[in-house]
Amino acid sequence: MGPILGVTLKGIEAVPIDIEVEITGGLFVISVVGLPDAAVREARERVRAALRSNGIQLRGRIALNLAPADLPKVGSLLDLPMAVGLAMESGAVRVGETALFLGELAMDGRLRTTKGAVPAALLARKMGIPLFLPPGNAGEVALVKGVKAFAPPDLGSLLAHLRGESRVPPVTGSGSETEDAAVEPDLADIKGQAAAKRALEIAAAGHHNILLVGSPGSGKTLLARALRGILPPLSDEERLETLLVKSTLGIPAKPDRTRPYRVVHHTASAIALCGGGTTLRPGEISLAHRGVLFLDEFPEFHRDLLEALRQPLEDGIITVSRASGSVTYPARVLLVCACNPCPCGYWGDPVEPCRCSAHTLEKYRNRLSGPILDRIDLHVSVPRLTPEELVCLEGRQGPSSREIREKVTAARKIQQERWKAHGFGCNAEVPERLVRSGLCLSRKVRPFLAEAVRGLRISGRGISRVLKVARTIADLRGDLEVSVEDVCEALAYRGGGESR
Amino acid sequence: MDHLETGRLGEALAERFFRDRGWTVLGRNVRVRGGEIDLVAMDGPELVVVEVRTRSIGKILPAEETVGPRKLKSLVRSGRIYVEKCRWKGPWRIDLLGINLDEEGHPHFSYLPDITVGRVQD
Repeated sequence: MGPILGVTLKGIEAVPIDIEVEITGGLFVISVVGLPDAAVREARERVRAALRSNGIQLRGRIALNLAPADLPKVGSLLDLPMAVGLAMESGAVRVGETALFLGELAMDGRLRTTKGAVPAALLARKMGIPLFLPPGNAGEVALVKGVKAFAPPDLGSLLAHLRGESRVPPVTGSGSETEDAAVEPDLADIKGQAAAKRALEIAAAGHHNILLVGSPGSGKTLLARALRGILPPLSDEERLETLLVKSTLGIPAKPDRTRPYRVVHHTASAIALCGGGTTLRPGEISLAHRGVLFLDEFPEFHRDLLEALRQPLEDGIITVSRASGSVTYPARVLLVCACNPCPCGYWGDPVEPCRCSAHTLEKYRNRLSGPILDRIDLHVSVPRLTPEELVCLEGRQGPSSREIREKVTAARKIQQERWKAHGFGCNAEVPERLVRSGLCLSRKVRPFLAEAVRGLRISGRGISRVLKVARTIADLRGDLEVSVEDVCEALAYRGGGESR
Repeated sequence: MDHLETGRLGEALAERFFRDRGWTVLGRNVRVRGGEIDLVAMDGPELVVVEVRTRSIGKILPAEETVGPRKLKSLVRSGRIYVEKCRWKGPWRIDLLGINLDEEGHPHFSYLPDITVGRVQD
């Protein structure tokens, strides 16, 4: 392997690309081989201009080889290694130590922010080599611990650094983090809906999927938005995972530890949701990794789309396979769905009569497939507020988002401790085979549960899910043992699914 | 002064222009098969094929803009033949020197180095 490496992205992974340069006599021509895409091929114009503005005049026949030759190279992030390779070959600089270079060049030699900085940093760390990247990417890379990264502002200062004339200071991970921003709306500002708020608290604590069912105007969307404010902060590792996905798309990193929150409209395509496309990019479900994926008007989504979510919801990853290759993206999301109880929206409403026929009701219900509902642990109905509740002038009701977030964070810590040995961070992630080992049920639960299973006809997976929710409820209380009451509450959130 | 005289004056001016820059002029009006090269010179380690364009005042286009894709192609061809003939193995390039003469006959140089900028393919 030569001393100058670039990267190209394969899913969320960076693959090292060896840059080889040959300059021979002849009319000045730059040719790039090694399956470059249009952006890589066009790099020669930027590279030539950037080198020239740094006083390096290219001459002769120049062949650039990007190895491995059979792997397609995508994007402008190879500009910098190509420029350094040319500078070295034309004798302007010597690169002794192998290093990774990443960045798009402006014509005057400035370094422009690119995608792929975080995967590249992880690769540099794995290979134990320094990384040179644009200053605009320094912030996200600062979060990758143990990588020797430098962010020169332009090609000139990078070349000076490589020549040993002046040093570019290494990127340090300090001061880039801010306090988590407060999220509007605050749960305490939402009137009534104590049951739904409780369910959101449980969902946030154990990362359980949740379905909010309610009439129009009952506050489903508002509640879902408020969920953002009670989610526990991202841990270092989780933050890096979310950054990794964002970085492959070039989305700038958030300076705080709030979790991703992605709202998907029901007209979204399967590729937008799950990832794919000709250049293979992650979808919304991967952008929502470690955070919330909110599907409003759940039954309006295309059936295929919802079915496509089944596997990633179970496994926490999604593998996108195309003719151009197959890549795996992380997809551990907290799924929040909101829907009306029936097409007209007033089924079960105490005041407004429902105008749906039995047939339309049946058709609507059938759109929500059993298997997908079965993966949603918490089914909550969000009733419309009574006139008394609506005119209630009292400002705040119940604990604030901040207080609940503290409780939720404490519960999440307990879960992390419990499942640390198995590598899981919360109850919902734990696979069926392990659930029962870490539950710590009280002695009265078993006979009670047997009775419940008989009466409610719950499947094996159903039992595991109920027990996971019950475990989270006990964790919220800070109790070691899962009580009958916890199981009761968990059972109450179990709607639809195969039990109905 | 007809256009041939203008051209010869331009080439003489060009030779001086490049000598002043420290180049070694190898030849003027070098005939190759299928064409002619106005000026051949060495710019340090690099051989340069120069196309000189001279225009007197009153013409619509400035001199340096009268080289189109066809002329460029024939320049590349002539250059290749010349380089082959004298067995030059090092790098070479094609430069363009536009000379615009004003009313008093003073030349205004417009020098464009490396007009193929790496875009010519085999």
